[in-house]
Amino acid sequence: MRVLIKLALALTLAAPALAQQTEGIFPFDYRSVELENGFKAYLIPAGAPNQIAYVSMVRTGSRDEWEPGRSGFAHFFEHMMFRGTEKYPNYDAVTAGMGAARNAFTGSDRTVYYLVASNEYLEQIVDLESDRFKNLNYSESDFRTEAGAVLGEYQQGAMVALRFLSERVRDTAYDVHTYKHTTIGFEADVRAMPEGYDYSISFYQRYYRPENVVLVLAGDFDFDEAERLINQYYSDWAPGYVPPQITPEPAHTAPRRQTVEYPGRTLPRLSVNYQGPAWSATDRMAVATEVLGQVAFGTNSDIYKKLVVEERRVQAFDGDFELSRDPGLLAIETLVVNPADVGAVEREIMATIERFKEELVDEKLFEDTKSNMKYEFLMDLETAQQVAFSMMTYVINTGGIEAVEDYYRELDSVTREDVREAARRYLVENGRTVVTMVQAEGE
Amino acid sequence: MTKLAWIPVCLLLLGACETAPEGTTTLHEPESPFIAFDIWVKAGSQNDPAGKEGLAALTAALLSEGSTTEDNYNAILEKLYPMAAEYEYNVDKEMTVFTGRVHKDNLEAYYTLFRNHLLTPAFSEEDFERVKSQRLNYLERTRRYGRDEELSKELLFSMAYAGTPYEHPEEGYVESVESLTLDDVRRFYSDYYLRNNVVVGIGGGYPEGFVQRVRQDFDGLPEGEVAPLPRPVPRIPNGIEVLIVEKAVDATPISIGFPIALLRGDADFFGLMAMNSWFGEHRNSFSNLYQVIRESRGMNYGDYSYIEAYPQGYRTQVPPTNVARRHQLFEIWIRPIAMTAPGNLHERTLFATRAALRELEAIVDDGMTEETLAATQQFLRNYTINWAATIDRRLAYAMDDVFYGIGGDGFLASIRPGLAALSLDGVNGAIRQHLQYDNLYIVFITRDAEGFKQKLLSGEATPISYAGEKSAEHMAEDELIAGFPIPVDDENITIIGINDVFEAGPPR
Repeated sequence: MRVLIKLALALTLAAPALAQQTEGIFPFDYRSVELENGFKAYLIPAGAPNQIAYVSMVRTGSRDEWEPGRSGFAHFFEHMMFRGTEKYPNYDAVTAGMGAARNAFTGSDRTVYYLVASNEYLEQIVDLESDRFKNLNYSESDFRTEAGAVLGEYQQGAMVALRFLSERVRDTAYDVHTYKHTTIGFEADVRAMPEGYDYSISFYQRYYRPENVVLVLAGDFDFDEAERLINQYYSDWAPGYVPPQITPEPAHTAPRRQTVEYPGRTLPRLSVNYQGPAWSATDRMAVATEVLGQVAFGTNSDIYKKLVVEERRVQAFDGDFELSRDPGLLAIETLVVNPADVGAVEREIMATIERFKEELVDEKLFEDTKSNMKYEFLMDLETAQQVAFSMMTYVINTGGIEAVEDYYRELDSVTREDVREAARRYLVENGRTVVTMVQAEGE
Repeated sequence: MTKLAWIPVCLLLLGACETAPEGTTTLHEPESPFIAFDIWVKAGSQNDPAGKEGLAALTAALLSEGSTTEDNYNAILEKLYPMAAEYEYNVDKEMTVFTGRVHKDNLEAYYTLFRNHLLTPAFSEEDFERVKSQRLNYLERTRRYGRDEELSKELLFSMAYAGTPYEHPEEGYVESVESLTLDDVRRFYSDYYLRNNVVVGIGGGYPEGFVQRVRQDFDGLPEGEVAPLPRPVPRIPNGIEVLIVEKAVDATPISIGFPIALLRGDADFFGLMAMNSWFGEHRNSFSNLYQVIRESRGMNYGDYSYIEAYPQGYRTQVPPTNVARRHQLFEIWIRPIAMTAPGNLHERTLFATRAALRELEAIVDDGMTEETLAATQQFLRNYTINWAATIDRRLAYAMDDVFYGIGGDGFLASIRPGLAALSLDGVNGAIRQHLQYDNLYIVFITRDAEGFKQKLLSGEATPISYAGEKSAEHMAEDELIAGFPIPVDDENITIIGINDVFEAGPPR
């Protein structure tokens, strides 16, 4: 089939003024399929001839680990999904036979499974993937063995400074919400995983349900054939999703501050965080907050140029205001060259925040930022896998991909006043958590 | 809205190159909205002068992340920002590359910035201090404390290439980088960034005449000759030579390797590629090592092997490009083996090492079977398509073809026919010719290095236990693994402390 793409034109429209678009930003035609059991699939023709990317997005991640002692379980469960079914006891061998690139990953709000393969295997892939979502079957012995691999995965990144810091930041900045733990989980919970076989069955039964999983199939395939296969293989999947009992994090009533020691050599890392809004494609303040992160703390911000490039007091500077499904943290992280300078760097960050609460952002920087955000999206649409992955944010936060157009329309209409309002609303003292990571004594 | 048809010719014409000016490699995909650049300077860390290890890498970093005579670095960041474009550099033993990708709408603005970095760098003192300070922080802290598994691999290469220009890590040593000056960088630039020493690679939907213009710009570099360095000849280890790094860890990575006389383009390459895929395909459960150590024993996160250098494998599912070399190692990467109960780290580490060595012995002695070879051919036939899904990667493979002197339609296009033509006898003959298990380098990073050394020397069995039930067959195999010999002599074991690693030189 012909692979149609309007990417070139969309990008032309996006540059440089990025005025209101009459057409949408997503440059592909697509078809959506919704089954009676609540399962949704999006079919997107994109990428190279004969290749398909089959991406199953589960709207469950470490956020859903609400029971005590179960941190890291969503990720662990992702591993178990490769342990086979009665029909396909050896998932690895089947996918190896196709020469498929396949893997999975877990985050706070998501668990995503993908295969990139030749389209000659489409039917077998629909069968194989639907089968493991419906009929996963593993022994307790396999479960216990896989827990060892997860401990190994925990260990291989345990000392990466940013992960070490992230664990402490979350633990400090949350009291009750499950974002308190990272996706890999607390070490004690990871070490206790071999004992969780029964819990894993319950986890599967509650979360791996058609209402909670969205398929994005991108590539070179026939629409009608794909729709027929999805109907054939997913319709008998019984609904039964049970939402997690997540306690919302209340607005904090006082700022928090913590110093943690890294058991190795490091320059000080200063992490300044604020309680932010949840992701939304239609809430003006949420979209304005993402713009705020870029203009105030991105690579083209005044503070970045001053501290990193001109004064060289900071080696790394990152403003991450990417929002999540539930209200999360707006984070500003720095690596400070001179330990005695940490306080002064923090004051620079505070002064920047105050400035964005008072003043309107520079007009050119504001327009360049909107351009940057759109090109970030459009530059990553080269392969079928990239196109499917580009839809992840929308699927995970809303359950479908339609919100992509809402989001970029909202971005178009964000004003400089909105950005100032977002700073006033979210960058407030009581919502602040500052964590400084320093080298432990004796290292 | 008008819709444009764009069917990339990429997968039909993998590696295809049109006629291009001398010193230029092109991969034209006219319908693609993207243009990729891959500028290859024929100099790498092997060209670092003694005592100035890390100079090639610092030079590339300064060019890439510094001001030009036209724009200071802040102005460059400002100009790049609305395009959401960037460029990257990579310095390996033999190659320095500068790469980037841009949408054709922004080609002119982007190319001007990109070109200026390489052709008219400002060599500003401020930029130099910034970039050097960032690299020193990496050397003094991040490299030693961030990822032990990556460090163990760097140490393996350093051991194997002792006394050759491949010995030092591309980033250099702490003391050598501390000593580097801006004048050193200027000198390296003027010695190697020469007209005939730079290959220009351009791919994607570039306009007519563009290639000629770029080549003309780069022809503005000064003339000059670079004397080729001799190919490195590493020493084959004398039995098993071990390096143990002392560090307070809860998990120990293991790197095993030895030199092989095999390069991409050689007659035996596809035979070894098939063997290696079955034995240890990178980050894939297809691999035998993965099945033995991770899948059925749950000892770690993964276990892989390599016949070509694969730096920073933790970051990628697909092979790195532009790390072409004139000499390679066979390498086994055992990801960190975790301590599961107090005191059992060393037993588990040695068990995993024994399991890997036992599998190595088996593949060398017994070779592949009709079944495993056929399964591997079937697997790689489609799997390798994923290695070049984007224009920048296809271009990078074409550049590597130039390095290896691979003509015709290039390496990527030769994979399917190369694999299809393999015979079992041919593959097993190649395995016997290139692989062995008597002479190995092994690196461990672990706590109580002396205790570990004594346990290794004692030859005592190192059984492991499991959280769950295992079959009698499994336990019988475990007994064989636990007692599998690792013949090593006291004088072949070196211990160093973590804070001495790559401080002033190689581990000795």
